[in-house]
Amino acid sequence: MEILSKLNSPFLYLLCGGIILFVAVICVVFGVRAYRAGKALGIDVSRMKRVIAASATFAVLPSVGILLGVIALSGSLGTPWPWLRLSVIGALHYETQVAEAAAESVGIGGLSLSGMTGEAFSTIALLMSFCIMWGMVLVIFNGKAYSNRLSASALKPDAAGQGKTGSASFGDSAMTAMFIGLVSAYIASYIGQIVSENGLFTFSGNWLPLAVAVIAALAMLVFLKIREAKNAEWLDSFSVAGSMLIAMTCTIFLAKLM
Amino acid sequence: MKDNRNTDNQALYGQYLKATHTLGRIMTLLVLLLLLAAPFAIGLFLEAMPNLGAAAKAFLGVGLVYLVSGIVEYLIYVPMLGAGGSYLAFITGNLINMKIPCAINARDIVGVKSGTPENEIVATLSIAASSLVTILVLALGVALMIPLQPILQSPVLQPAFENVVPALFGAMACKYYRSNRVIALIVLGVMSFLFVFVPSLIGSTSMMVIPSGALAIGLAYLSFRRQRKGREGSK
Repeated sequence: MEILSKLNSPFLYLLCGGIILFVAVICVVFGVRAYRAGKALGIDVSRMKRVIAASATFAVLPSVGILLGVIALSGSLGTPWPWLRLSVIGALHYETQVAEAAAESVGIGGLSLSGMTGEAFSTIALLMSFCIMWGMVLVIFNGKAYSNRLSASALKPDAAGQGKTGSASFGDSAMTAMFIGLVSAYIASYIGQIVSENGLFTFSGNWLPLAVAVIAALAMLVFLKIREAKNAEWLDSFSVAGSMLIAMTCTIFLAKLM
Repeated sequence: MKDNRNTDNQALYGQYLKATHTLGRIMTLLVLLLLLAAPFAIGLFLEAMPNLGAAAKAFLGVGLVYLVSGIVEYLIYVPMLGAGGSYLAFITGNLINMKIPCAINARDIVGVKSGTPENEIVATLSIAASSLVTILVLALGVALMIPLQPILQSPVLQPAFENVVPALFGAMACKYYRSNRVIALIVLGVMSFLFVFVPSLIGSTSMMVIPSGALAIGLAYLSFRRQRKGREGSK
């Protein structure tokens, strides 16, 4: 128990809280700069405010999910470190896997408080930082060149002499398609989970994720229909969060049927 | 007059982007150094420094997978997020389960086109707002950990919070599948086939985004070319 009190000590809260505060300041600076640049470029202020409102609303439920990750990891790693990892750079599914693998390699068997030592913790913390830093490394050393190349390709006139950001742009279709690919991969994995998770065509896997996705999609469809029928543009800012909330509420009842 | 205004805007946007890259690189580097230094600071405090040999061994075991997925995420998501959005998103993390859907949703709500200054501004605002909300929710959650823990971890609510990502992707799928039915149906069909017949892939879904995205982009390109030919033919 002594190790847990050290992992929850004021020093660790101060260290992790300080880094999180620094990142919050960075977010404010980037947000304010973008807002001012948008105003100077003549972008409608009300549209920018809609983006901020929609994004803030959108983020609430996933953030509560991430908070649960902090709680889950706090039993073995204390609270400050998971708080830092999941506020900055980390992602719920990565952090747990890396922490577990790191715990095994330092010889404490798995991620549990019973075998945790100071050395094991600092090694796990280092590995969690090191394993998931590659996006940051690439964006530091190649972000500018990559972004400039993308911008140049978007602005390069095509055979018809049109800039690709114009009506004939494939960029938008490509972005939408990439997102469809991303969503489809996850939804297809839920289908695969039901059908073959416990052996090919056993149909005995967990059906809850697919059911939740379908309910969220149906709720979203209702929101979209209302928005179109009533021309309620304001609904756009809340439709995703609302659909998620409906689906997650239904999950509570569906889980009882399992 | 209009030409002058466009030139001014281009110059302004160019300056903004240049400063964003400078600021972004410095801030990302600082955060990275802080994150790598923190385990050593904790080691000093605990009087037990990290075991570098064990860390290296574990990195070879699991870290290489994250190296590959980090490169893939970088290549795929920077075009979606723009310059400012990319720096912020890679600093704050949670890309697949929040930042990417959030930025795409914001872009869609205000109807901006990729590669434009509006897209750059909207993506940055979206990532900044969502990151601040996450930081705030987590800070409040940590501050109220003791009273909140029994509620959030109650067995009744547990299934709801375990399924945040399916709820998010379900809602987003409806929005995007509606206007791209053929592409969505083919990609979902092919990917389902793969996951059903090779269930071991379920554990690597984040990597399966690559073939899924590539297939969707390929299909979108074929559709784009067909539409363009149709337009040229009708002229």
